[in-house]
Amino acid sequence: MADDLKIVGLLCNWCCYGGADTAGTARMQYSPNIRIIRVMCSGRISPSMIFKAFQEGADGVFVGGCHIGDCHYDAGNYKWSRRSKIVEDILEEFGIEKERFCHEWISASEGEKFQRTMEEFRKELNKLGPLELD
Amino acid sequence: MSYVLAKSQNDDIHKAGECGGAVTSILKYLLDEGIVDGVLAISPCDDVYDGVPTFVTDSEDLIKTAGSYHCAPTMIGDLVQKYFFDKKVAVTAKPCDMRAIEELITRHKIKRDNIYVIGLNCGGTVSPVSGRKMIDLFYEADPDDVISEEIDKGQFIIELADGSEEAVKIHDLENEGYGRRTNCQRCDVKIPRKANLACGNWGAEDGWTFIEINDEKGQELIDGAKKAGILETKTPAQGAIDGRAKVEGIMIKMANKVQNAVYPTVSEMDEWSRCISCYACRDVCPICWCFENCELNKPYFKDETNIPPTPIAFQGVRLSHMSFSCVDCGQCDDVCPMDIPVSLIFDKLQKKYFNRTGYVAGVSDDIKPPLYSPEKTEL
Repeated sequence: MADDLKIVGLLCNWCCYGGADTAGTARMQYSPNIRIIRVMCSGRISPSMIFKAFQEGADGVFVGGCHIGDCHYDAGNYKWSRRSKIVEDILEEFGIEKERFCHEWISASEGEKFQRTMEEFRKELNKLGPLELD
Repeated sequence: MSYVLAKSQNDDIHKAGECGGAVTSILKYLLDEGIVDGVLAISPCDDVYDGVPTFVTDSEDLIKTAGSYHCAPTMIGDLVQKYFFDKKVAVTAKPCDMRAIEELITRHKIKRDNIYVIGLNCGGTVSPVSGRKMIDLFYEADPDDVISEEIDKGQFIIELADGSEEAVKIHDLENEGYGRRTNCQRCDVKIPRKANLACGNWGAEDGWTFIEINDEKGQELIDGAKKAGILETKTPAQGAIDGRAKVEGIMIKMANKVQNAVYPTVSEMDEWSRCISCYACRDVCPICWCFENCELNKPYFKDETNIPPTPIAFQGVRLSHMSFSCVDCGQCDDVCPMDIPVSLIFDKLQKKYFNRTGYVAGVSDDIKPPLYSPEKTEL
């Protein structure tokens, strides 16, 4: 069952995507369930993208951005961090457990953190099982 | 901010108005002096349950908009935005109208300089259909004989053609599922303090309107109308001010009681599976202004084969767009052909947002809803 779980990952081009790259080049093993979508900045991710992912059958959605203060575009990750709270509030209303939605700040050098985050997220989703929307 | 009591100097308006005709007089002053191109107000159509937004450009016609209509819960914020963007208009607005106008101003959809808002205190509105039914059931009168209605001292009062009155406690009506609309029961903004003036009968003696002047523009209106000889004013006694504050306090307390009830989530409510994707809730929403550009119309969300739509991909998207600016006007409840209590969820999300940020839609002084601000802060 664990292999069937689908995770959609929206990763910021400058940090988290680089982090995933670092994990890859260093041959760190992480869960293959994640489907990575590269975006230019976590600040351009709108809540509807998260909802669309869940509607299309994702069991979990992960968003990765630069550490606070490191945003390539100055304040994009602040915007995302505020927006993520709204996403959490809305998901709760629609019966989607808040553990299915996860976001983390990962820099391009933190391959190991990316690996660890992915493993932990997958474990969490394993506990919850596949998402069933009405 | 200051208070005055006012009444009309014009006999016809004084008689037609709800409490002294001050509002109609101020509107007349604005039109006569050419300060505005027109006035947008509610006038009755077939009966007291039927209020229609009317654009008046001739001050002779103003008299038909006099009086208050609790059974005509229409919204004027979006009308101003759609039809009068470049016109100078004066509007009458209950608190939710004012909140919608304020939200649209922050979105640059209404120009603040172009609009005069005469606010009306509001204890709640009644939907026309349930209003008629309620009078049929709880009162001895025939709904068609009612010539005027009023909400006062916790009672819904109707007046008949022969001058007799009948009153029933709102609390009793609401326990039976009638009375005010559910969003009005939740609403805790009873006085539109963002409007130039906030008028009402709370605290006022008979035949006078109690006016709270909220800003300089409001003060100019009162002074101007007085100078033109159409308005008579006097300073209210402290007792009147206290009386008004007390009424407001009771109203807010009643609202808080309803707010504290625990509402189910969307996934716990069967009603949402009745959705037929008609988009009426979006089209009527005063805050939703994108229309053709709405994200729900984009190919990646438009799904005509999937009815009812997945709630998260329909209402979820709308919630993420504007729930933090929801003014709880209840229009979405009114227009839903499947009777889904849409506003319940939107208002709930706005309350959650308030708990996080302290932002009350259309009431707070923030220049932008915090979600849009470029500030470097986290919640």
